[in-house]
Amino acid sequence: MASNTIVERVAADLSNYPPFDVLEPAAVQDIASSIAIHYHEEGEMIFRKGDTLREAAFMVMKGAVRLFDSIDGQEVLVDLCDEGDIFGVRAIFGGSIYMLSAQVAEESLIYEMPAEKVRALIAASNAVSMFFAGEFAKSMQVMERSLTNAFDQHKLRYSEQSCRSFLEHETLEVKPVTSVITCAPDISILDAAKIMSDCNIGSILVVSRNNHPLGIITDTDLRKKVVAQPGAVNERPVRDIMSSPIYTITGNKTVADMVMLMVKTKLRHFCVTEDGTPDSALVGIISEHDIITSEGNNPAVIMKEIMASEQVGQLKVERDKAENLLRIYIRQDVAVHFISNIITEINDAVIVKAIRFSIAALELEGMRMPGIPFCWLSLGSEGRKEQLLRTDQDNALLYADPPSGREKETHAYFVALGRKVTGMLEQSGFVLCPAEVMASNDEWCQPISVWIGYFSRWILTPEPKALMNATIFFDFRPVYGDTTLAAELKKGIFEEMSRGRGFLEFFAKNALQNPPPLGFFRNFLVEKSRDHANEFDIKSRAMMPLSDAARLLIYEQKIPDYLSTVERFQKLADLLPAEKDLCLEAAAAYEFLMRLRVVNGLEQGGSGRYIKPESLNKIDRQMLRNVFSTIGQVQKTLNMRFQLDYIRD
Amino acid sequence: MIDRIIIEARLFRCKKNALPESICRYLHLNRKKIPAKTPLADIRFVVFDTETTGFDIKHDKIISIGAVSLKAQRIDVSDSFEVLVRQDNVGARDAVSVHGLLRKDIATGVDERTAVTGFLDYIGNSVLVAQHAGFDIAMVNNLLGRHFGVRLFNDVIDTASLAKRLEKGPYYNLAHKAGEYKLDALCERYNIRLHDRHTSAGDAYLTAQLYQRLLAKSRLSGIENAGTLLMK
Repeated sequence: MASNTIVERVAADLSNYPPFDVLEPAAVQDIASSIAIHYHEEGEMIFRKGDTLREAAFMVMKGAVRLFDSIDGQEVLVDLCDEGDIFGVRAIFGGSIYMLSAQVAEESLIYEMPAEKVRALIAASNAVSMFFAGEFAKSMQVMERSLTNAFDQHKLRYSEQSCRSFLEHETLEVKPVTSVITCAPDISILDAAKIMSDCNIGSILVVSRNNHPLGIITDTDLRKKVVAQPGAVNERPVRDIMSSPIYTITGNKTVADMVMLMVKTKLRHFCVTEDGTPDSALVGIISEHDIITSEGNNPAVIMKEIMASEQVGQLKVERDKAENLLRIYIRQDVAVHFISNIITEINDAVIVKAIRFSIAALELEGMRMPGIPFCWLSLGSEGRKEQLLRTDQDNALLYADPPSGREKETHAYFVALGRKVTGMLEQSGFVLCPAEVMASNDEWCQPISVWIGYFSRWILTPEPKALMNATIFFDFRPVYGDTTLAAELKKGIFEEMSRGRGFLEFFAKNALQNPPPLGFFRNFLVEKSRDHANEFDIKSRAMMPLSDAARLLIYEQKIPDYLSTVERFQKLADLLPAEKDLCLEAAAAYEFLMRLRVVNGLEQGGSGRYIKPESLNKIDRQMLRNVFSTIGQVQKTLNMRFQLDYIRD
Repeated sequence: MIDRIIIEARLFRCKKNALPESICRYLHLNRKKIPAKTPLADIRFVVFDTETTGFDIKHDKIISIGAVSLKAQRIDVSDSFEVLVRQDNVGARDAVSVHGLLRKDIATGVDERTAVTGFLDYIGNSVLVAQHAGFDIAMVNNLLGRHFGVRLFNDVIDTASLAKRLEKGPYYNLAHKAGEYKLDALCERYNIRLHDRHTSAGDAYLTAQLYQRLLAKSRLSGIENAGTLLMK
């Protein structure tokens, strides 16, 4: 019989880290009671490549362990494990020898978990099974399946909310609940609890004799203030435990108002009174639940408001509301592809409206639309329907070739239009593109023949640097106007591409410029070159390698649709059966990265591009490590597919 | 040599079934000392701690024993030991509250004989390790003497003395700065996170972690077998 005190101590340490953090205490204690604790000094080897597998897996409880491969006498760092990381899991799944060496990088306390115990745990728990499947895949250096498993696990942790539908609805107002159950301040806690349980409600308002709100009692109050206290508190009056004062407001509040208020006050209940103060009679109550499920809190309503707007100023107001919506969705963990569809619709509506305002404004200034079809193109992330946060605007204008003699006036009109629209978008919160890749720029406001000429130049005489800057143009998507122009442009691009295959190789090289890091070690990013960096650029280090790869493959496959990176990978999964799993993993990885970036951007109020590693929790770090290995795998595949003499590092 | 004489004398009583089986098994196991050339990795160490009603060896009683084994540098949680000892005459004395043991816990423990024979079964002829080992050994010996007329015969390592020996050399006078070699101070110095102080098992676990680091340090000082470690 092992000592309970010691087992509990070890169990407490274990349950700080996945997968043990989600297990029942009894299961954690069971594994804790079988653990051996090893202390190692810096430099000691735990196992070497080629050693017979031990009957145990290892967890770093303190310190750090480096895992490396030896290739032709050269050590290649594969991973750096810190507190909570598990390694040596091959032992659990069979095999005969270690494929990597494990060396103590700084003095470490290592928990050894008997393989048979872990196997039993895997058999008993789905979460553990998926966790170790992921860890195992990593140790095999076969990454194909690791990510899917990790994402399943992620879903287990953060139960995903179902998508909401685009319901049409008239009102933007949050209707308070008016049939409020109230009680007097001097009734006993027991009586209040009985009312709540009888009426099946989560809270009860405490009001004065003349129906002025005094406070509120919620389930939480009962739990924390009553149950947690010793002695007979049940008989005490409710005024002793109510939360008071209660936040009072006037009626007719919009969803956006309420969301702002909720974010600002961090409260969950708001009391509507006649004059909005606690010194007037109660009208109703609005809870967090009402705000979130309110029908007014609906993207369709925002869309409608945008389309009905009469001034540029309203566009910003509505786009700000969309950002609140984004906040709610992210908080509720709504699927990213759903969020990005909605936000893209809203962004597109803002653009469409800005174009209409601009055409009208130009008309007022005496500039009439030439009778020539045109098409407004979104480029880059907005072109890929991925612009969740209002980052730089990247756009272009494409128009049909004007009849000879009318070139100048046509160009002049569309450049004027481009300037007006980009100016309005700037007013709506979309920053101007510093590189001036916008329809307001002469160069990017051109007839289709010129555009085909641009693409032809990029494709037939590719030059690495120019190509790097041109990638955003390959993500163009028509947002307003004559979409056949955009389709014609795409067709022209495919024709040029079939004339020069070399272009795809340039494109591929470009996609391989940024090898992914290995993972995180404490607050550092671990690079293959063994350097550490303390700032993580999620856009260039993780998202761009994936979006570049997706773009390359989708152009190789000559898919004319205007797709997001996730949609591209999903499409590629169908088109390239050999790479199906990898493509689906890449799609999931990209969604994860988009969410991480948005969360970071909303928290920091910027583009979300730079992430502080210390702000990431253990599971995010492990997810990112899996994402990095997927990126590595994608790059390896591109390298082989396009037969590049791509030398690592 | 004296140990051997006492052991043989007590074993004689075993033949007459005058002593419990556990005691006899323990005596058998301890007839031979661990050979000096035994490599450290082959030695089973039992790191233990006792909680007592006070610090008077003659009058105070053991109220709990906690222990964990360590072999080949590995602390083996599955091979750990914890027992509460029932003491009927424990008053509201200071030590009781310090140890965090409520009087009802002590009342739920096992009797002294059961506790100590369980402990002997657990330790066998392992090398015993304790922080300020002299006190704990004396407490256990007192109990063994009262009930069975025997005492502990294992080799013993005191972590405070070992730390001192490794840090300052064998001839440093510990008496001057005793505070430096208290468990708390040692844990802090060797980077061990403190927890569960004042339960015997918690302290034994801390002491085991400390001993693990001291062993790593001893290897650097050329201590690699039982002889050099136990200085015999």
